[in-house]
Amino acid sequence: MTNIEKYTQAFVNAFGVDAESAKALKYQDIPAWDSVGHMGLIAQLEEQFGIMMEPDDIVDLSSFEKGKDILATKYGVEF
Amino acid sequence: MTLEGKTAFITGTNRGLGRAFVEVFAANRANVIAHARKETPEFREFLNDIAQKNSVTITPVFFDMTDSAAMRSVVRSIVMAKTPVNILINSAGVAHGGLFQMTSMEKIHEVFVVNLFAHMELTQQLLRYMMRFPHGSIVNIASISGLDLKKGNCAYGVSKAALIAFTKTLAAEVAQSGLRVNAVCPGLADTDMANLMEAKAGAEMIARSAMNRLGQPREIAEVVAFLASDAASFVNGQIISVDGGRA
Ligand SMILES: NC(=O)c1ccc[n+]([C@@H]2O[C@H](COP(=O)([O-])OP(=O)(O)OC[C@H]3O[C@@H](n4cnc5c(N)ncnc54)[C@H](OP(=O)(O)O)[C@@H]3O)[C@@H](O)[C@H]2O)c1
Repeated sequence: MTNIEKYTQAFVNAFGVDAESAKALKYQDIPAWDSVGHMGLIAQLEEQFGIMMEPDDIVDLSSFEKGKDILATKYGVEF
Repeated sequence: MTLEGKTAFITGTNRGLGRAFVEVFAANRANVIAHARKETPEFREFLNDIAQKNSVTITPVFFDMTDSAAMRSVVRSIVMAKTPVNILINSAGVAHGGLFQMTSMEKIHEVFVVNLFAHMELTQQLLRYMMRFPHGSIVNIASISGLDLKKGNCAYGVSKAALIAFTKTLAAEVAQSGLRVNAVCPGLADTDMANLMEAKAGAEMIARSAMNRLGQPREIAEVVAFLASDAASFVNGQIISVDGGRA
């Protein structure tokens, strides 16, 4: 699996959406992406990429696109 | 009750209650990640003996609870090695007694850093990793001094009261992720902490116990092991006193 596939899959697993709709998602757009769902997403991302995210980055991850940005700039994930 | 197949990360295991937790957890077949501030030959020997006697794996880890970077690096190495962590026992602690007006803010900070913030920090670092494994359990070692707030307890007792409050909040937050969080409040137990207490204060604490005696570390450890085990699978957010009852 490529990194973008792994990244998208984390959203699919965490929120039960399909890959296409995952790409447009923002925090609290759908009921599943509430604060509890958010922690589930972070757990998925940490497991997929073998990283430990800082609390500030967890708060900043407010959309699919923003998350890519954070993972690329702070955790060395190449997309 | 068994802890077979589980790994418990326990802090402050070189002496006192933490040492008894290692003994009782290993006797119940748990593997243990045993934390201490520093490495000593006696500590290594103690862990090797317990591991051999019970045919379990005991991995020592070392860091000062006040050293965030060292703590983080230990957690990172556990995560990278994919060593499972099902149980976290936050036990390392420091005692302090004294009237508020005679206690410096530095001392209050110091007590809070070890007794509360370091536990919160370790918990925060391990929490999502623990969620990857089934039946997770966290047990915070608070104190009856955090329930039964008396004069002279502005640092220690208040830090333990905060740990109790943290336990309840976290229990509500993470229950749906498969983690239970409880606290044990020991009464005065037979460790260095109790033995270094001012004699009069110690005698008063013992007199407040219906059983009128010190607790033995194993008596605390058995309850902690129960809470950590699946036998307590519906026990969450509870503050359990292990103090011989109130007189
Ligand atoms: N014994 C009691 O009567 C009693 C009653 C109620 C609650 N408790 C609670 O039970 C827990 C264990 O107490 P205990 O009786 O076992 O106390 P203890 O015999 O004094 O042992 C304290 C443990 O915490 C460790 N520790 C303290 N500060 C640390 C730091 N900055 N970094 C790393 N390790 C540190 C000590 O390591 P070092 O050896 O390196 O100092 C030691 O392993 C504590 O949270 C205490 O508040 C005890």
